[in-house]
Amino acid sequence: MSRVRVRDLEKVYDGTQEIQAFSAVNFDVESGEFVCLVGPSGCGKTTLLRILAGFEEPTSGEVLVDGEPVEEPGIDRGMVFQEYSLFPWRTVEENVRFGLDRPACECADCTARVAGLIDLVGLDGFETAYPKELSGGMKQRVAVARALAVDPAVLLMDEPFGSIDARTRNRLQTELLDIWRRTGKTIVFVTHEIPEAVALADRVLVMRRDSGPGLAASIDIELERPRSRTDPAFTERVAAVRNVLDS
Amino acid sequence: MSLQDANAVTTAVSEHLEWETVRRIGFGLVGTLALTGLWAIAAASVSPGYLIPGPRAVAAALVTEFRATEPLVTLGFRTDLPRAILKLGQTFAHYVPGLAVGAVLGAGTGVAMGWDERLDDLLTPAVRVLRPIPPLAWIVFAIVWFGIGHGGAVFIVGIGAFWINFYGGYDGVRDVPDHLLEVAESLGTRSDFGMIRLVVVPAALPSILTAFRTSLGRCLMIVVGAELFGAPGVGFEIINAANNLAMATSVAYMLVISSVHIGLDVLYRRAERRLLEWQP
Repeated sequence: MSRVRVRDLEKVYDGTQEIQAFSAVNFDVESGEFVCLVGPSGCGKTTLLRILAGFEEPTSGEVLVDGEPVEEPGIDRGMVFQEYSLFPWRTVEENVRFGLDRPACECADCTARVAGLIDLVGLDGFETAYPKELSGGMKQRVAVARALAVDPAVLLMDEPFGSIDARTRNRLQTELLDIWRRTGKTIVFVTHEIPEAVALADRVLVMRRDSGPGLAASIDIELERPRSRTDPAFTERVAAVRNVLDS
Repeated sequence: MSLQDANAVTTAVSEHLEWETVRRIGFGLVGTLALTGLWAIAAASVSPGYLIPGPRAVAAALVTEFRATEPLVTLGFRTDLPRAILKLGQTFAHYVPGLAVGAVLGAGTGVAMGWDERLDDLLTPAVRVLRPIPPLAWIVFAIVWFGIGHGGAVFIVGIGAFWINFYGGYDGVRDVPDHLLEVAESLGTRSDFGMIRLVVVPAALPSILTAFRTSLGRCLMIVVGAELFGAPGVGFEIINAANNLAMATSVAYMLVISSVHIGLDVLYRRAERRLLEWQP
């Protein structure tokens, strides 16, 4: 059984006029798979992710995670936002611990778990720092550790590296792949950067504005990791995605 | 830039800052002395003297009020206290409970209304009507409900504290970013109570504390105002002395109030900095 199943999903916004974000979207995400959702701004990719997270309701269709229909946010789906969304009044440690203190979650040794996660994202020594003392890249590492703390089935990431400078961004991508390998998490990652999607994903789902029903394309990226951006096979995949978007 | 250069810059900067502080203190002293001089000239040039009591007369009155003692009888025990301290104590007996109860109720109501839309809709018309009424206008009810005395003054201060802190809580909650609430939700925070305790109140705390700081000063004005109507305390001393044309004593008590405010504000700011250490 697939980890995530998206069935005939449609979203229409009621405003002064009805705006269709997307319709008839169908896809599955397998357990442990890394899927990127790319498309220009306004194509509905963030809306789609927010529906997976349970923050918004679809107009029709459904989303299943491990066979259970998604109706509201839950600890089975970890969320990482572009704007980090750390709790500024909590230290790094306290941020990571947030989900573990909820009665919804049980763990034998939470302190050790928090320490392990901080180590996983490479922030040893910053346990007692407040978010204001961290760089953007460090903040996003904390956000990833915090989302992983409750051991979600799926990690949903909404342009997580969107406001981070290019060099740090490449390093964070490598680190994310490393975390993904070590934790075996299923990841759905939204971005508008095509090379980022091709560098990370097992499969790239392409969304377009006004492209009619369904996704514009689903492109498998069967390249060995780590992937070199100068590799002709890599640039070929980037061109393939771009073709879909430009056509 | 070498380390040495960096050190030189740091030293230069700190020297500049020190000079800046000295300059500011110097200017402050000059300004204060000049105004006191003007005050003394004005006092010397009017007659009768009570129209503007001069700095010397006020200083003398201050000394008298701190030297003269009055008995304080509590639970049958009698202690002699300097009159100014006793009056200040009476004022604090109105100020502290009024401020505490008003601030807690105000901030609490503000947070609840900011969080719950139905409650907000239900109470907003009442808030709009009641909010513009100056706290001192409630003196009429303070008198018929509690009489002219401690209870009435506490009540007036409480009303003043309520509204200032109400908006601190309300606006603070309204400004909590949605994505923080969403993160908390996706990490398993389910109940309203959990959300308020773990996210809403901490996020709104800077706004709540700023409002509380404003209410510290405003309530001091309000308590003096309330006492002018007859509750014992600094405010009553101000009007009482004026009734005997001892204007210097009135001014002395005005200065007592402003020193208390300066002291409270400094202490509070220090506490606030510690509480909001995490703030950028």
